[in-house]
This record gives sequence, C-alpha cells and structure tokens, in this order.
Amino acid sequence: MQHSTHQTELAGTVPVRDALRALLPRTKEEMQLDLSERMDRSVVTLLKQATDLFYGGRVSECLEASEAICDYSWEKLNTGAWQDVDKEWRRVYAFGCLLKVLCLCEAPGDAATVPAALKVCDMGLLMGAAILEDILIKVAAILQKHLSGKRPSPAPAQEQHSIKKARKEHASVPDMRSERAVPRLHCPSLQYFREHHLVPERPVILEGVANHWPCMKKWSVQYIQEIAGCRTVPVELGSRYTDEEWSQRLMTVSEFISRYILGEPKDIGYLAQHQLFDQIPELKQDISVPDYCCLGDGEDEDITINAWFGPPGTVSPLHQDPQQNFLVQVIGRKYIRLYSLRESEALYPHSTHLLHNTSQVGRQDRGGIATSLLPNPGPFGDRTGDLCALSRSTWRTPTWSGSPSLLRPRSCPACCVLERSCSSRRSAGTTYAPWT
Amino acid sequence: MSEERPGAWFGFGFCGFGQALGSGCARQVHSPEPVRAPEVGADLWRVSASWSYTAFLSRAGQVQLSGSTSGAADGCRDAWASEALLILLRDGRGPGPGAELQAWAPSSALRGEPLWAQTVVLEAEREDGPGGETHNQTHNQLPLLPCARAYVSPRPPLYRPLAPQLRARRLELGAEHSLLLDDAGRVYSWGGGRHGQLGHGTLEAELEPRLLEALQGLPMAEVAAGGWHSVCVSETGDIYIWGWNESGQLALPTRSLAEDGKTVTGEATGLSEDGSEVKRTAAAETGAPAAFIAVQPFPALLDLPLGSDAVKASCGSRHTAVVTRTGELYTWGWGKYGQLGHKDMSSWDRPCRVEYFVDKQLQVMAVSCGPWNTYVYAVEKKS
Repeated sequence: MQHSTHQTELAGTVPVRDALRALLPRTKEEMQLDLSERMDRSVVTLLKQATDLFYGGRVSECLEASEAICDYSWEKLNTGAWQDVDKEWRRVYAFGCLLKVLCLCEAPGDAATVPAALKVCDMGLLMGAAILEDILIKVAAILQKHLSGKRPSPAPAQEQHSIKKARKEHASVPDMRSERAVPRLHCPSLQYFREHHLVPERPVILEGVANHWPCMKKWSVQYIQEIAGCRTVPVELGSRYTDEEWSQRLMTVSEFISRYILGEPKDIGYLAQHQLFDQIPELKQDISVPDYCCLGDGEDEDITINAWFGPPGTVSPLHQDPQQNFLVQVIGRKYIRLYSLRESEALYPHSTHLLHNTSQVGRQDRGGIATSLLPNPGPFGDRTGDLCALSRSTWRTPTWSGSPSLLRPRSCPACCVLERSCSSRRSAGTTYAPWT
Repeated sequence: MSEERPGAWFGFGFCGFGQALGSGCARQVHSPEPVRAPEVGADLWRVSASWSYTAFLSRAGQVQLSGSTSGAADGCRDAWASEALLILLRDGRGPGPGAELQAWAPSSALRGEPLWAQTVVLEAEREDGPGGETHNQTHNQLPLLPCARAYVSPRPPLYRPLAPQLRARRLELGAEHSLLLDDAGRVYSWGGGRHGQLGHGTLEAELEPRLLEALQGLPMAEVAAGGWHSVCVSETGDIYIWGWNESGQLALPTRSLAEDGKTVTGEATGLSEDGSEVKRTAAAETGAPAAFIAVQPFPALLDLPLGSDAVKASCGSRHTAVVTRTGELYTWGWGKYGQLGHKDMSSWDRPCRVEYFVDKQLQVMAVSCGPWNTYVYAVEKKS
C-alpha cells in the first residue's frame, strides 16, 4: 500500500480505483463501522455484509447492497425534521455512498463513470455525516483530480461580455438619502468591537479586514467553474423562499453557472446558505476566519461558514437569525436593510413553524410599515474587503442591487458569509429536508 | 355467499434479506411469483411485511417469520411487523375471551419472552377472526387493537389510547403520520405534515387526530398510509390521494421521473399502441410550464384507467397498490426494487395494471404492501 503523500503525487496517473483503495483499511476486519446499538440491526447487518462483499471482490453484489443501504437510510433522513435526524443514520448513508462509489469505480467504466461516482460522493457529503476520518472528502479530491485533467475550462470571453453588457444598462438602486448608514470602522480592536458593537448588538461595517484574502484576487466565475464545476450542490429555485413555487434542486456547479448565472437566465436560481467550504476544501483555502468571530460565547467549532452565490435580483425575504453573522461580499454588491427587533410586531412574522422568523412583508418598499429603521449598511462589497457585522437582534433583508456604475443584473456576484453559530444552523424558513 | 375458490398469495419487490417472495434466489423480484411460506402453506391468511422480514399468519393461528429473522409461534390472531418490533395478538393464556398483546424484538426469532405484553379486552365477536374469509380483513386490524380504543406504535410509547369519541374501524401508520377511518367512514390524520401527508392543506404537524374536512360527506371504505403519503377509497369506488409525490406515488406528474427519462407514458396499460415505450420529456423543453407536483397537501381525486372502481388499497414506503372491483391490480410510484410488478425497475407516476394477473386469469382479492415490496392474494377466475 502506498504512503499517503506518495499517493497524491500519483493521483494523476494511477487509476482512480487504486487511489481509492489506498484510502481504505487493508482488511475488512480493520474497517470499523462504529455504529450505535440503537441502529436497526438489519441495516447494520447489511452494511457489514456489503463491506465483506467489497473486500471479497464481489462488486456487483456489493453495489446492490450499497444501493439498498443508501435508499433505506435516505428514508430515515427524510423522516421528521432534519435537525432531529439521528446522526447515526447520516453516517449509515455516508457508508452506503462510500461503498457505492468504490463499486462504481472498480469496473473500467466509461467517461460517465467518474462524474457519476463524484455525484454519489457529493450526496454522501451533503446529507451524510463524517465517517472514517472524513474519507469522502479525500474520495472527492481523487475523483475531482481525475476529472479536471480531462475537462476544458469554459471560455473566459463569455463572462467578460456579460459584465460589459451589464455596465451599460441602467440599474435601479434604492435611494439611500433618507436612510441612515451603518457606521464604518477601520480594523477596530477586538475589545472595541466587543464593547461597542457585539455586546450592545449594534451592526457595523469593518473595513479592511478581508482585503488580503486570496479570494478577493482569485475568485471569478471561471475560477469557481474550474475548481468546483463537477461538484453537486443544492440550489434554491424561485425568487424567495416564502414563495409557493420555491424549491430546492441538486445540480452540478457547472449546470448552475450555465443555467442561472451566465447568459440570460429565465429563472432565478440561488446557491444559498450552503456550507460549500466544508464540501470543497480547495475553496476554503481562499478565505480566512476573521478574529472577530472568536469573540462571544461558544466554541470555535460552532463557527459555520456558508456561501451564497447567485445572480443579481436575488432577494432574501426579511428575516431574523438567532446567531451573530459576519458577511463578506467578494464579488458584486449587496443592499441590506435592517429593522430593530422592537419592530417585530409591525413586520408580521409568519405564524407557521417553518417560517416564524420570516416576515410576511413582501417588497421592501421605503414606505413600509415599520418606520424606524436601524442604520442601514446599504450597498457594500465588490472586493473591498469590508466585513459587515450583523447582530442577531435585527431583521435583515439582503438584496442584490445594481447602479449605473456597478455590475448590474447580468453580472455574477458571489458572496461569502461567515456565521457565528451557537448550535445548529439558522432556521430561516428554508426546509432542511434532504433533497431528492 | 360465494363459494371458496382456490386462491394463493403472490409477492414481488425487495427481498434482499431472503424473505419469502418467490424463488428466494435474487434480492429483488420484478414480476409476481407465488409466495413460498412452507410451514404456513395454503392456509396463509394475512401478510405483514417490514423492510427486512415478513410475518405470515395462517388461519389456524400460526405465525411464521421470513427474512432477516425467522421463527414461528402458535395461537396468533394477528401480527404486525416493523423493524423495531414485531407485534402479535395472541390467544389469552387463561380462560375467558381476552387476548394478549405482545411486542417482540424481531431478532429474538420468537424465542424466550416478549419485550412487553399486556392483556387486552376484545369487543364483541369479530367477523374476521381466524377462519373468516380472507378478503374481509379490514376491521380492527393491527396496529389498531381489537377494542378499537387504542393502537400500537413501533416507537415508544408502544400502547397509545385513542379518544373514546373516535370510533375507529381502521388505523394505518406512515413514517411520521397516522390515518384513522371511523365507523361512519370519516378519515382523521395526525402526526408530522412536512410532506402534506395529513391532507389538511398545510405542512403543519397535528398533535391530535384531525378530521379531513375535504372529504366530508364522502364516506370512505378503506384507508392506507405509505411512508409520506395517504390514500383512501370511498364506498363508491373513488380514490383520494395526498402527500409526497417524489416518486410518483400519488399518480401525479413528478419531475424526478421526467428528468430521468424513466417515466413511461401511453395507454392505460402502459405501452403505446405499437408496444414501444414513450419517454416523457420535461415540459420546459416544449415551452409549456411544467406541471410537476412534489407535494399534494389536500386530497386529490384519482381516476383509474377505464373508469374502474377501487375496492382495496395498500401503500408501501413510496408506492401505491389498488385492487379494483373486477379483480385487477394497479400499482404506481417507486419501482426500483420491482415492487410495482411490471417486470422491471421503472417507477411510474400514473396507475399501471399488473398484467401478470390478467394473463394468468387470476382475480385479485387483496393486497398488502411492505415498505419495498407487495403481496397479493388472488383467486382463479370463474370460467
């Protein structure tokens, strides 16, 4: 068996199958499932059988068994609220996906084999939980490396054209004159930030914090396509998650870009609130975690990092988050309107359980019901390296905007948000049921 | 009173744990095969299938388990199989008309003692006790207890009383919801509602049984609960269906099938006139708005081909099976493990007749679905 560093060097030449096998324990006895006693005995037995079949070289039987394991655990993942799903079922699902990927890559296969295997691997990452020291991340890296050698990059000309076209068109931007802007500070000390903004829960824009991050220089639609094009991600379709037509769908990043970012998208598609950097560690290398995130209660492990990637015109309905958020806009501009918690009644929160932290107020008209606005961060972003700190005690609605001098609806802004989260992710009305 | 015609049980679908479903060689059976339950044999009266094992119950009161667990027991009036627990209703140990409700760990193979047992009172004589006709099995069947005052659940608490004013006739459990049919033909639902399976028009959960107002005035004869969908059959033979449609289990157009290109469209029996499969393409390509339905939160009326009347219904995890008055079987929904009985692994989002029974001149009398398989009782047609 090859040593791990040696293996990554050869990933380009050694067939995918061997590279994957090198990740596994050598014998089936060493393969520790480590599943809890409370799991259904039948599925644990089937999983053990599937593992034995794989090590015994009985690939087609193993594949059959893995399919059944994935399908059965998928049903468990879809039973009850996502946050109540027993983590062990997610681990079973991940094991099922792992075995399926291994089986798919055992046979020589054709050009479609590795993308299909990568899709299964991504399902395991999206809906499963960590197994065998995050083996699925390593599997994804191997499969992706194999694919990127063969895939041509999309023409950069298309992106430039879209941007140029956008600049020419007139865009509407909310009139900010009568609104108060949120204060801006340049790299305040941690203590100052804590005393004057974190504790009293006052929003602020921190300048100059993220301007040295690699993403500011490196990221473009083409770059994202190269790094992550073949990866499967969840995309929200429909203008707002409060709409009846709103839905979630899985697709590769390439598909998402070509259908909903570039060209003239017919519908709105939004890669929203997805822990993209856990799924694709290569992108994580381009960002940092600001020191300000470490203030406050909770452990560093509670910090969740989400990504938002979408076309202009995406609007998140007015909502409230239980956690402190730091928002960094990498490409493009965002307009955010804030209301104080004191205005909650005037903001008509939905009465349903799923949407109780989301307002029913539709368009964010200036003549809205709630009259006392908090100081507004207004449009910010576009590679400035500004960090917007949003406290938990505000209602916020981020909207993509354009202006005559800025990238307008046809552009492709991206944004990365760092959230300080105490327990689970924000439950702002998106149903966290796993996608089919 | 019709004479007893010779009948038999057939099975198709998932049998990855070796549960009796035919020859026993493969992990899946795609077309109906006679069920082999040797110890129970021709006396097989009721089938209750869980994911990894099936419980066969004979008229004489013997229960036989097949699949991930084995074992047998006597003196059983009813059996209900789930992964967590096997529930048996057995003759009381002492004299008197009582019965004993037992919950067993499936892996125990019915050896030793049950995990839990309780004496239960029976109401007046049940018409469909062992020895009654096979197709008259809708009254007070597990998980509903004979007294109809309570039911059993595979999740704790095991024993769950029902409000006395609910005169329950039939109760079915889905993955996170419950359906109840009362003596007057009214339907109630409660539990989780995230996939519209409660039928009240929202995605909200209900803690207590709530009447299906949309069905008021339409007396129902049968209810069936799948994993996340619900079906009921009216006394006049109409089917009402609601809940999650991700695999076409509501017989409504579903995106997943259109995108996979696996959906088969055409005549009622599933093939276009020249016998070829016709692939349904996503409506978006033709410019028309796609009318896919992922969730149907209140009952929709479903017509069977040729205007047939339905008399029985049963649901698996993500598929639906219906028996018509004339003895045909229609299935639709998830078909990956052959549970639809159409000789392949296709899923369907419209009702499709199981041709096997037509070809063999068999009249289907009853159907009982496990999560990923289907058991059917059929008799020979009168010539």
